[in-house]
Amino acid sequence: MAERNGSDPQSLARRMFLERAGLLGGTVAVGGGSYLLNPKGAWAADPIRVGIATDLTGPISWGGVPNANVARMVIEDINAAGGLLGRPLQMILEDTATNEAFAVTKVRKLVQKDKVDVVFGGITSSMRNAIKDTIVNRGKTLYIYPQLYEGRECTPYLFCTGPTPAQQCDTFIPWLIKNGGKKFYLPSADYVWPHVLNEYARKTIEKHGGEVVGEEYFPVDHNEYSATVNKIMSSGVNVVFNTTISPGVAALFKQLSDAGFSKKGGRLACVYYDENALNITSANEVEGLASCLDYFKAVNDPYGAKLQEKYTKLYGTKNSFTAGSGSTGMYRGIRLWAESVKEARSVKREEVAAALDHAKLLDGPGGPCEMVPGTRHVKMNMYTAVAKGGKYEIVEKSNGAVLPGECLKS
Amino acid sequence: MTAVAFLFDVLAYSAVFVLVGLGLGIIASMMGIFNFAHGEFVLLGAYTVYLFEQHGLPVWCGMLAAPLVVALVGLLLERIAIRRFYATPVVAMLGTYAIGLSLREGVRTLLAGQFYNVTAPLVGSFALGELSVSRWRTAVILITLLVMLGCYALLTQTRMGLQVRAALENPALARASGISTARVYAATFAFGAGLAGLAGGLMVPIYSLSADMGVPFLIKSFLAVMLGGMGSFDGAVAGSALVGGSSAALPWFIKPVVADVLVFLIAIAIVKLRPDGLLSHWRR
Repeated sequence: MAERNGSDPQSLARRMFLERAGLLGGTVAVGGGSYLLNPKGAWAADPIRVGIATDLTGPISWGGVPNANVARMVIEDINAAGGLLGRPLQMILEDTATNEAFAVTKVRKLVQKDKVDVVFGGITSSMRNAIKDTIVNRGKTLYIYPQLYEGRECTPYLFCTGPTPAQQCDTFIPWLIKNGGKKFYLPSADYVWPHVLNEYARKTIEKHGGEVVGEEYFPVDHNEYSATVNKIMSSGVNVVFNTTISPGVAALFKQLSDAGFSKKGGRLACVYYDENALNITSANEVEGLASCLDYFKAVNDPYGAKLQEKYTKLYGTKNSFTAGSGSTGMYRGIRLWAESVKEARSVKREEVAAALDHAKLLDGPGGPCEMVPGTRHVKMNMYTAVAKGGKYEIVEKSNGAVLPGECLKS
Repeated sequence: MTAVAFLFDVLAYSAVFVLVGLGLGIIASMMGIFNFAHGEFVLLGAYTVYLFEQHGLPVWCGMLAAPLVVALVGLLLERIAIRRFYATPVVAMLGTYAIGLSLREGVRTLLAGQFYNVTAPLVGSFALGELSVSRWRTAVILITLLVMLGCYALLTQTRMGLQVRAALENPALARASGISTARVYAATFAFGAGLAGLAGGLMVPIYSLSADMGVPFLIKSFLAVMLGGMGSFDGAVAGSALVGGSSAALPWFIKPVVADVLVFLIAIAIVKLRPDGLLSHWRR
């Protein structure tokens, strides 16, 4: 039959089309992974290369995607205003895929092949620990880490722009004791951030006359918490200070809600909970949950509101601009770095780092912020908020900027 | 009161595992292949329920639809790919793993890597003395019991069940007796997939929807089927109940991180002592 004949030109064309479609599909699926944002318009000078390494895919992509969005937004803004030192910024984005081993090769590419002048990124502490050596020590490049974390990161040339345990606990825990009670329970995911944060939280709780009834560690994807919930309910715990993360956290909150923890007067607390995290469980299950971060939409400061509007126009509301996913830290980081480049009149690591050591922003989401000299950490306003009907209400605002309390000696 | 809470907990978690393990067990014992995409069938069931909720349809409709949708997907996959693997169980594992990976990453793309929440058809809890018992978890226990009885009746009391068992015992003789084993296999695979879909639909309000929700269930159900022994319905149920039950019970006594490992150690020990399955002693 003619249609079945392989030498039929139509069939050959079809086969070639299939081959090419397959090749294209393969390239799209396998290749890429990195993304180049070339500055628009005609620029005479060489671009300044900005490496962004974040988790665009994998379990932490809920944080990585808005991080990359924020970076793109700020970099386009800077370029629109004439770039830095008369040079445009070129953003080179790498997907670290929530996989530390994979991330190291991506970061090595940024540092060695693209020769970026600075790297921003990493969300989990395990990711920061995996990539920092490649960037800072072997790569001799400046690294800025945007997410809230457990502290104790005092590597030279590594700047942290997210909140530390001191910033998240010092005002928050006294508030919890006042608005919850003295008996705390610490259900936690079994990795570095909860272990180190809990150490600090426990000290702060005991300093203010509270008591830790239990501290338990679970595998990250644990989904059966009845034993823990029962212990919490039967030992009269007032505050559950949670550091389990997704995916496990959803099951814990649901099971606590089923057992009636909040309804019976208990207070749920979680320091990474932001507007995006409210989607993890339904609103009634986290009613009354308290969080402490450097920014909430409900702060409603003019600067933050304008940023929100712009971000939403560019990227929609699905992965919104929040503090818990490191977006505010990314914003702050790029702005502070840009100020430092201007001051140093150079992109050389030593000179930028020297300027970054005392860099300041007069305004930002949630208010002004500044580096505490000699510590590579940021002093900023902190807000305590409570979830009500799927939104946050600010219940307490720090009295001015809170000190990070990290890397004090040296 | 603690004892009641403990028992309910063990029962509720075992119920979820029995639903997942039963599907995996039926496929494993019928075709002699381990379906590594089973966790993703659970995910697809959950996703179906989520889609229903997104489009404003009642959640329980989604739960009814989930097993049908996933059975259909299973049937399609069986016709396209899985039937080619029956002769080579190792290739089947790799093949189904690949299918599972594609499904999981596909759903991850659709969900944009986020976590979503589905509201249960029965919200809240009822009081049992001082204890609050989740309504939905109670419903899941009851539904699991009904499904178990239904499956048992289907396999032992109906003509289809007879054909299925015949195709399992002696495929050549079954074919000679006019049973289309290809059709029986396809139907069984779809049935097992449907059970996974139902499990996913029922459990999504308890946990939350994310692309990786099926993974921990696959590994533990795999263990459950190994424990129960291939080729038996009651074995798969007993194995699942044991794995689910011990996963829920151990954290009451020891650290959860240790408990997770201990479940596997206990299971490995049992497999070593009873390589033919938990119930082999009573069966023979």
